Amino acid sequence: MARGVMVLLGTKKGVYAFRSGAARERWRAEGPHFPGQVVYHVAFDHRDGRSLYAGINNTWGGPRIELSRDLGKTWQTAKNPAFPKHDDRTFSRTWHIEPGHASEPDVLWAGVEPASLFKSSDRGETWQPVSALNDHPERKYWNPGGGGLGLHSIAVDAADPKMVTIGISAAGVYETKDGGASWTRANEGTGSPLPPQPEGDFGCVHHLVGSPTVPGARFQQNHTGMYFKDGGERRWTNVTKGLPTDYGFASAIHPRDPKTAYVFPLEFPMRMSPAATGAAVWRTRDRGKSWTKHANGLPRASRYEVMREGLATDRLDPAGVYFGTTNGEIWGSADEGRSWSLIAQHLPPILSVETATL
Amino acid sequence: MKLHGAFSEFAGGARSASVDAADVGGALAALVARHPSLAERLRDEHGLLRPHVNIFANDEDMRYLQGERTALRDGDTVHVVPAVSGGEGDRWPEA
Repeated sequence: MARGVMVLLGTKKGVYAFRSGAARERWRAEGPHFPGQVVYHVAFDHRDGRSLYAGINNTWGGPRIELSRDLGKTWQTAKNPAFPKHDDRTFSRTWHIEPGHASEPDVLWAGVEPASLFKSSDRGETWQPVSALNDHPERKYWNPGGGGLGLHSIAVDAADPKMVTIGISAAGVYETKDGGASWTRANEGTGSPLPPQPEGDFGCVHHLVGSPTVPGARFQQNHTGMYFKDGGERRWTNVTKGLPTDYGFASAIHPRDPKTAYVFPLEFPMRMSPAATGAAVWRTRDRGKSWTKHANGLPRASRYEVMREGLATDRLDPAGVYFGTTNGEIWGSADEGRSWSLIAQHLPPILSVETATL
Repeated sequence: MKLHGAFSEFAGGARSASVDAADVGGALAALVARHPSLAERLRDEHGLLRPHVNIFANDEDMRYLQGERTALRDGDTVHVVPAVSGGEGDRWPEA
């Protein structure tokens, strides 16, 4: 029986955490850890229930990964991901850290910039390049998105530890079924904001997530809309119809039901909630056949910006849903998105939201 | 050696260290030997000094001397200073 939840925020000025009991009504703030330092992502390791990993992208001292074995009370610096000596690339930012499969408790994955994947086999203390992806023959066709050439999404399959799906802006989705020894582009069905290219269908995935409990289930917010893909499917299914825009970044999937997903639509090029509908989380419970706007409790006609890592679910029942905004507000829902309450405001710009179900 | 700002924090709070070295590069190597946590904060994986760190030999930026080959004499002070250019220039994780 879960005792509560911890909402972990990566912000422009450090790591913040908010703890609550299972009711998720009252929250206690912790932090900031690493005050003043840009944190793109904070990950929780559900396998040991106590490890945190923070991707810190500081100009002073360069990028680094910090890890904690006691839910953030103390931290230690990991050995940096490093490109080989002969390589002309330099590790410049960490975008996402993902714990590996439950059957591999020492494994973690890190997506970095320039777009590359690193694997740790010692619980995040050291990192090795995944050369089959980092030196992929198609790498020459990958182009930076607005934020750079980053590998920002990693989804480990719920059943198969060797099946990992990643997202790169702007290249799209790649999959491995052999633990990283080989990688195949998997953009079929998603389209591209660019005209067709003879080299292939390189797309612009904005955020990709996988179900933590249902094998094969994937969901992504792309530059061109929202898409689902289940195990065994080759093509992504476009499920954008019914949403106010096809644009946005943040996306999350329900912890148990792979047909339920959440997005936070934005309006291009403002990157804010659409003026016509205001800020809202939109939820589907039927794998994208229909979408419902959920803004109960949010300021009417408000407009927020939510970054690609800014929306997350917890693993309680009913599932909690959370989003963080670039104007420093963290909102939570304890009823699967139907109603919302403000957890905290006046924080630094929030770049990522993750949860630890304790 | 004098450690300023963030580089003192990266060295566990140490603000100074005495080392034996013939030049600035040697002094930095000796500093890292004393405080291994500084290794990846000062240099990237290819051994290049990170762009937002300034190294002064006494009162002069080593860029205007002989860089890491700048010779040192007994009693000289090498300063490790975070550049004023750091911080605000950080990009956000946009599209």
